[in-house]
Amino acid sequence: MPVLLETRAATVKIALAGNPNAGKTSLFNALTGAHHKVGNYPGVTIEKREGERRRDGRTYRFVDLPGIYSLTAYSLDEVVTRDCLLDEPPDLIIDVLDSTNLERHLFLCLQFQELGIPVIGALNMSDEAKARGIEIDERGLGRLLGIPVTSTIATSGQGIDGLLDLVDESLARLGTDTRRLDYGSEIEALIAPLERAIEANSSFAEKYPSRWLAVKLIEKDENAFERLAEHPEADSIRALARRASEWIGRHFGKDAEIVISEQRYAYIHGACSESVRRKFRPAPTPSERIDGIVMHPLLSLPIFALVLWGIFELTFSVGKWPMAWIETFFRWLSSLAAAFLPAGPLHSLVIDGVLAGVGSVLSFVPLIIILFFLLSVLEDTGYLSRAAFATDRLLHGFGLHGQSIFPLMLGFGCSVPAIMAARTLKSPRDRILTVLVIPFMSCGAKLPVHVLFAAAFFPKNPALAVMVVYAAGAIVALAAALVLRRTILKGEPTPFVMELPPWRAPTLRGLLWHVGEKTTTYAKKAGTVILAASILIWAITSFPAYSPKAGEREALAAAWSGAHPGASQAAIDAALSTELAARGLSGSIAGSFGHLVEPLIRPLGLDWKVGVATVTGFAAKEVVVSTLGILYGVGSDQGGSASLRERIAADPSWSPLTAITLMLFILLIPPCFAAMATMRAELGWGWLAFSIGFQLAVGWLAGFAVFQIGSALGFA
Amino acid sequence: MNISDLPVGAAFTVRKVRSGREVGKRLVDMGFTEGASGRLLRKAFLSGPLQVEIRGYDVIIRRSEAAMIEVAEDDQGAGDARTA
Repeated sequence: MPVLLETRAATVKIALAGNPNAGKTSLFNALTGAHHKVGNYPGVTIEKREGERRRDGRTYRFVDLPGIYSLTAYSLDEVVTRDCLLDEPPDLIIDVLDSTNLERHLFLCLQFQELGIPVIGALNMSDEAKARGIEIDERGLGRLLGIPVTSTIATSGQGIDGLLDLVDESLARLGTDTRRLDYGSEIEALIAPLERAIEANSSFAEKYPSRWLAVKLIEKDENAFERLAEHPEADSIRALARRASEWIGRHFGKDAEIVISEQRYAYIHGACSESVRRKFRPAPTPSERIDGIVMHPLLSLPIFALVLWGIFELTFSVGKWPMAWIETFFRWLSSLAAAFLPAGPLHSLVIDGVLAGVGSVLSFVPLIIILFFLLSVLEDTGYLSRAAFATDRLLHGFGLHGQSIFPLMLGFGCSVPAIMAARTLKSPRDRILTVLVIPFMSCGAKLPVHVLFAAAFFPKNPALAVMVVYAAGAIVALAAALVLRRTILKGEPTPFVMELPPWRAPTLRGLLWHVGEKTTTYAKKAGTVILAASILIWAITSFPAYSPKAGEREALAAAWSGAHPGASQAAIDAALSTELAARGLSGSIAGSFGHLVEPLIRPLGLDWKVGVATVTGFAAKEVVVSTLGILYGVGSDQGGSASLRERIAADPSWSPLTAITLMLFILLIPPCFAAMATMRAELGWGWLAFSIGFQLAVGWLAGFAVFQIGSALGFA
Repeated sequence: MNISDLPVGAAFTVRKVRSGREVGKRLVDMGFTEGASGRLLRKAFLSGPLQVEIRGYDVIIRRSEAAMIEVAEDDQGAGDARTA
């Protein structure tokens, strides 16, 4: 329960809440300006934004709660909001309401009122309402509901001062307004004894608003019953609540939770019909005309494909420039470090470990920025909901959700932003499922591997071979979704009830905000782990340190120049250093590991070299190619890949069949450390561990099946 | 009848949401209450989801959810839900 405030507390804690698409984030930005910090709610990856504003010697601390439709906890967002309001109640709630869609927005508002926390309403988007001919009698509405309201236009910052005035006013006359939602005499007669029974224990009633709990119990809310367990008279109250629900069910001929919601709407409808007037009927809006095309039954899917293609084109064509700059910068930094550090383990650690690691983290940042900028545009304009509408039918068949489509498609680019994008899915189960299958979508870093092997073994049509691998990845992703949905992620399909907001022009400020937030999250979380992983990979490929025995160097040089008569000294030196690097790698921990796992991948037709490359590939999948380069003695330099292709093509242990097997294997086994770190951040260690095991199994089984069946058919 | 039985463009009045625990409650919370008027705006291809207007805003629901909502079709011209 909120503590009674002094006439004017110096600091007030205000929660900003409301339905999604009400302009809540814009209002938060308008209220707090640049003074905010972003964190996470404990245990979940839902962002928690906090910020403050000072005015006339008073500090207003705002916390931006996730946008929700109801306090019945269907989604993670709703759980977070409910727990936040119950467990650390603010002094006041500002409910951000969409003035063009007042009835549904007030539905949530009245549930806040029941919590016993003072609520005021920000009638946001009042300009849009005006344009649509909606006129709201603010005083009348406020009086009828017992909730003071004032109009705002968050995008332009209008009405902010008025809103803060209202905050002051409401806090000053706290507890004087006792108006509240009336469920009708029959239901009120059931609520009253429940309330009394709950209040009988004062320490419990101190903690939980009794009226809210009484209503929730009648609504058969599971969490309400869990909280009730703390009450000494929990059993008798539970029985009382159950009888009340049953009585309502019998009397109204429908479930109590439905009756309660209907009563709320009836009350709201009554208040709105007295205070909201429609002055004129607007002509069909441009939004509706756009939908006529974008959501057209036949055009919606081709348009979606076009949008997707555009995003990839833009991201990768624009992103490759800054990526190259960053790589050049780090090469320069490496050469600088090389000039200052004496040769030895420290030299190697800084250059091959730290700088290579940090460089690979940062080189992804431009892609993330661009991808998230474009994704935010699609989200803020409302296109994502339209895409979900278009693709839901296809994905639903595989146990996925229409909203899974974007994260999945982004997976073709990079799993890291794709996994993060799965946050747009509101149901935890859908989100987990989507994240688990994203790595099967062949990411951009795996392309060099596919290209190398396709060019070596399918010289006539390498593009087709690569396409087949991509398609195989997508098919495995869908099949895996289907299997997971029927096994460990079982349950009724999540209801697909999604608001379709009208098209809106995104604000640059909002876009930059989104992008900035996601980028820092990536750099912070994935960054530290990738760095650690790069150092680890460096360590296992560098130790135990290899130093050629006396005479080994000369013997090798002599052997090589014997085989290549007339080779220049430079060529001999180059061949020698590659050979030594290969021997060093073979004798390192990673090399030993390669030999160790060889028996495991033998049934897939793969040898220890692939074993080593698999391990180093966890740093980044491109590294598979450079590792094979070292092991095949062609060096890891840029020009190496043509000769690597020839070497591999000439190696009798490879065949088109093993090449396809390898491509599939590398595609399906667990992703790079960056993706794993992101997965851990989003879903936690447990799901990461599961995902690693699952992908190892899928990758191995697919490789095994392809190689063995292929061999049996005589393709080996 | 339920919403997916209606022709595109038809206005309707909600008669009852058949209980379906989570789904039913969610639909009611989103505004599909007895007596509420709405309109079927669009059907996605191959039995995909429906775009429905209810209480003056648009919502997308699957046909399986639409099947939970019993409606009566309003008479032609009885009121354009878009502007009601």
